[in-house]
Amino acid sequence: MTKDPHDPIQTALDDALARVPRHRPSADFTRRLRARLTDAPVAAPAPVAPAPRWRWVLAPFGSALAAAAIVVLVARPSPGPAPEWSLADEAVSDHLRVVASPRPPEIESGGIHQVKPWFTGRVDFAPRVAFAGDDEFPLVGGSLGYVRDHKAAVFQFRHRLHAITLLVFPAAGVPWPAGDVTHLGRLSVVEQASRGFSVLLWRDTELGYALISDVNRADLEALAQKMNP
Amino acid sequence: MRRPMTQAYAGARSADDVMEHVDALYNHARHLTGRDAEAEDLVQETCMRALSAAHTFTGGNFKAWLFRILRNAFIDLHRKRRNEQPLGELDVVDGADDALLRDDLELERLRGVVGGDIEAALAELSPEARAIILLDVEGFTESEIATMLECPAGTVKSRLSRARVLLRRRLKDYARTP
Repeated sequence: MTKDPHDPIQTALDDALARVPRHRPSADFTRRLRARLTDAPVAAPAPVAPAPRWRWVLAPFGSALAAAAIVVLVARPSPGPAPEWSLADEAVSDHLRVVASPRPPEIESGGIHQVKPWFTGRVDFAPRVAFAGDDEFPLVGGSLGYVRDHKAAVFQFRHRLHAITLLVFPAAGVPWPAGDVTHLGRLSVVEQASRGFSVLLWRDTELGYALISDVNRADLEALAQKMNP
Repeated sequence: MRRPMTQAYAGARSADDVMEHVDALYNHARHLTGRDAEAEDLVQETCMRALSAAHTFTGGNFKAWLFRILRNAFIDLHRKRRNEQPLGELDVVDGADDALLRDDLELERLRGVVGGDIEAALAELSPEARAIILLDVEGFTESEIATMLECPAGTVKSRLSRARVLLRRRLKDYARTP
């Protein structure tokens, strides 16, 4: 660089800088971050059983042995159905799609009265969102998402550097989770977690709402209450 | 549900490649922000941006590319705060004269200064001065830093030189004669 290696002052400064403590991320943060980065991509469908390898193993030993093995395999208890892909999982996947998108929101926020009309004609319902954003939770924009193969209105908020996604969708036909219900003012919210993200779910008449983020639960609840004064 | 994320993750680099540099990113972020929570926010934002833009990485030093993203994320964060020094402060600092700082005691002081004091002195510099010193300590080349800072390599030289002089000034207050 610009330093004279023969200048004792510069060398002493380099040595001093080498003594600056290195900060290391906590193990918990590293674990959460890795989970977010590696698990984020796909809302995995029910796993498909791999091709039965025993077929290749048993082939050289003749059909009798193979038949015996099949009897044993059939007699084994079934591993049971694949775990159901929950609404919270689906909401988190949509949140991650929004966060990781290299593009800006389809409609960047010029205020709630610019974002909400943008959905007209793009979704077959009127997304009711009473909260227009504020300094603490600014509205960033909106886009389209999908919940159970039905179009959803996506509102993007921020809290400091955290992204927060609100999905609004027709609740009809959407299996509703039976988790613990928390009462926030007039609001009854099902609180769930998936892959390190908090998910708040509530219904208001015919519409369902999913609020997803990695902010702490209290901040997310505060936003939910602002949306339901 | 659409599942386009696979495309972002199938880019030139994977989550594992990003995670390999998390310690270095966090250390830099922590020195820039001074706070654990903000450093975590910054690193997370950096990693998410990196993965979503993985397809745009065309080669070279991947770590330097990540640090550039971190810098941009930090600038975004910094703009939201109004009570800190502007990032460009370093550019308007009057010519810090290296020679004026020299005295018989400085060498001994530098040799005796402890890590915590250097960190405190660094924290008093502008974010831009702090960043360029830390990037140098991290081992990046002039051209890599120039790419990160979006300036000519010659500007990196002069900025780094001035930042180091400013640090030495600050260290005068911290350094203890052994």
